[in-house]
Amino acid sequence: MKHKIAMIADFFHPVVGGVENHIYMLACNLMRRGHKVIVVTHSHPPDRVGVRWLVPGLKVYHIPFPTIASSATLPNYFTFLPYLRTILLREHITIVHGHAGLSSLAQEAILHAHLMHVRTVFTDHSLFGFDDAASILTNKLLAGALRNVDAVICVSHTGRENTVLRGALEPSVAHVIPSAIIADQFKPPVVPPDTSTINIVVLSRLTYRKGVDLLVATIPLICERYPFVRFLIGGDGPKLIELLQMRERHLLHDRVELLGHVRPTDVCNVLNRAHVYLNTSLTEAFGIGILEAACAGLCIVSTRVGGVPEALPPDMISFAWPEQDDVVRALGEGIRRVKAGRHDPQLAHDRVRTFYNWTQVAERTEVVYQSVVESVERTLWERLTRTRRLGTFAGLIYACIMLVDCLFFAVLEWLIPRDSLDYVSEEWDAARVQQYLNQARSHQSATEGGESAT
Amino acid sequence: MAADGEVKWEKVLWRTQPFPDNYVPDSFLDKLRKNTNFRPYSFRGLVLAACAITQHLSTIFIFISVFVRLNDSTLDPRVLVWVTVATHVLGSIVWDVAERPFYEKHERRANRAKAVKSSLMVFLALIGLSPVLKTLTAATSSDSIWALSAGLFVINALLADYREPASVPRKEGLISVLSMNAAISASVVLASRLPTNLSVFALMLLSIQLFALFPILRKRIQAVPAVLHFTFTVCIATASVWSMHSLSPFVASLFAGTLLFVTFGGPGLLMWAQQYKNEIRGPWDVAVPRVRPDT
Repeated sequence: MKHKIAMIADFFHPVVGGVENHIYMLACNLMRRGHKVIVVTHSHPPDRVGVRWLVPGLKVYHIPFPTIASSATLPNYFTFLPYLRTILLREHITIVHGHAGLSSLAQEAILHAHLMHVRTVFTDHSLFGFDDAASILTNKLLAGALRNVDAVICVSHTGRENTVLRGALEPSVAHVIPSAIIADQFKPPVVPPDTSTINIVVLSRLTYRKGVDLLVATIPLICERYPFVRFLIGGDGPKLIELLQMRERHLLHDRVELLGHVRPTDVCNVLNRAHVYLNTSLTEAFGIGILEAACAGLCIVSTRVGGVPEALPPDMISFAWPEQDDVVRALGEGIRRVKAGRHDPQLAHDRVRTFYNWTQVAERTEVVYQSVVESVERTLWERLTRTRRLGTFAGLIYACIMLVDCLFFAVLEWLIPRDSLDYVSEEWDAARVQQYLNQARSHQSATEGGESAT
Repeated sequence: MAADGEVKWEKVLWRTQPFPDNYVPDSFLDKLRKNTNFRPYSFRGLVLAACAITQHLSTIFIFISVFVRLNDSTLDPRVLVWVTVATHVLGSIVWDVAERPFYEKHERRANRAKAVKSSLMVFLALIGLSPVLKTLTAATSSDSIWALSAGLFVINALLADYREPASVPRKEGLISVLSMNAAISASVVLASRLPTNLSVFALMLLSIQLFALFPILRKRIQAVPAVLHFTFTVCIATASVWSMHSLSPFVASLFAGTLLFVTFGGPGLLMWAQQYKNEIRGPWDVAVPRVRPDT
């Protein structure tokens, strides 16, 4: 059965990042399998506004909401409904798929969707703790939004456990479907880099959560112990200054190269210069960077945190506890393995190629969609009682929001009647476009041929 | 694959497993840890910690009752000056005794000389300033002063430093300095309502005693054996309630109720709330990097 899916998230192109890329790749692969997919996100004034099309025929609606911080909009529960109602109705959407825990557009879409009898799926991409004020608040918002969701997708088993706890979900509602990579974009170099100097690459945002403190503590020890080692560090962030200070203090200017921000298109070039990939992250839901590096044939050394141990078979990755001495030990093992020629980049690439691909992700997501569409829809009363049980205060607040939402929806039905909407009648069809293109080309060449003849 | 042909579920993502994506394994959430760093409070410990708050509230009310008496001229300011000087000497001796284990003999002597010098300085400065302070807010109506001083005392009580004394001495934070300043400002505006220069001087002297010096001494008292600490708290609380009682039995009973609640009710509530403690830890938590400090 073919579905009509709306991907809804605050995080989408033109911003570059893991979630953004995931949504785009998933949408493209679902379209390739014959489903209709649109994306709803907030606008990026002045130029990304209104409706835009992305290759290959992915329609993107930009809602004119201002962002508050890191490309997220303010949760406001009601103002999104008029936009969402019109979009879902005119595009004949059957499934709303929200992305990212901190995206208020996604959460609100899941709360509104039942009014249009649209089913809901939510994908959570990150891990959150339970012990600070920000987490407590965002977890409560998530629990409210996911109270009546039809299915949840998480990117790792650890992420699933985390989301089930945060959203107070039934475990069977949550599915695990990892993200994937395009293996062709990360090929090992044809001529493997020379092993007389070993290059260790680190590619990450330079923030506390990415473990820059560990990195700063480890680099001088490794440089002292292995004189043939060089570090390449790509990325930018508030902790860059600490790396610079470390380099200054230990006089390692010729050993530690700071590349600054690396564009996604350049990542493979940087990876191809190196032998060992080091990840010192303190928390990681899945670790797509590790996969990319493994796919490019690098020897992987990583801290044992979050979902990282699930991502690769244990013989492809050296683990360290997030402690200075253990990182030095694991990194030393990696260096010696590369030095002794016991690491085969091409073999690593061929193996990773079989682990993850987008077609498989799309197939597995399709199964989730199918099960959601086949399940029985909850009635409004059922939703209300479930929401009410959310908690003494939160339950009451969310129940009120839900009732007001219904009233608002009734007003909208009266204000913008369904028969006044501008429904989409023609869908984008790649085959037909190709056919027109071919026709136009042949026509053009025919006229050109005619002109040259005269 | 196991020998009997049964496939075992594994917590990996890189291999496609013959289980649905929403399969719930037996090991689901087995890494979950609850209340790992939880150490239950004892009622005794909480009451002792709350004593600092009780003492602070008591000093505020002692100050207010003294002010009311000075304002009514039912208390002779000369008596107050003598009492204040006497408590200052007494407090200095207690301080000196409490300091004994921390400093060498010659250090203590130097400290003592410094303390005497600054006490005299403050004493003389206040004598000189009291005529100025007396007329400071002459143009302001009394109602505003009562409201202002009440607000300032609330700020003082909220921001005061009630923490246990640290094993390593730490710097006074901005918050506790703000707290002290709020109390001194409240005293200044109240003192400006008083009828004579001498009563202004006496009240300011008391205010310095209670709001600047006493909190420092309180820190030391918190370190003495619990019985002494508690007895001292009971004494000062009784004194404040008693001094309020002759002014207004109603306010005194309200205040006594508040003190009892702060000392016993608050800790009791916290003890009761402890049963709901639910701290969740798991592999998703941000790890704490262990780095040797010398590198």
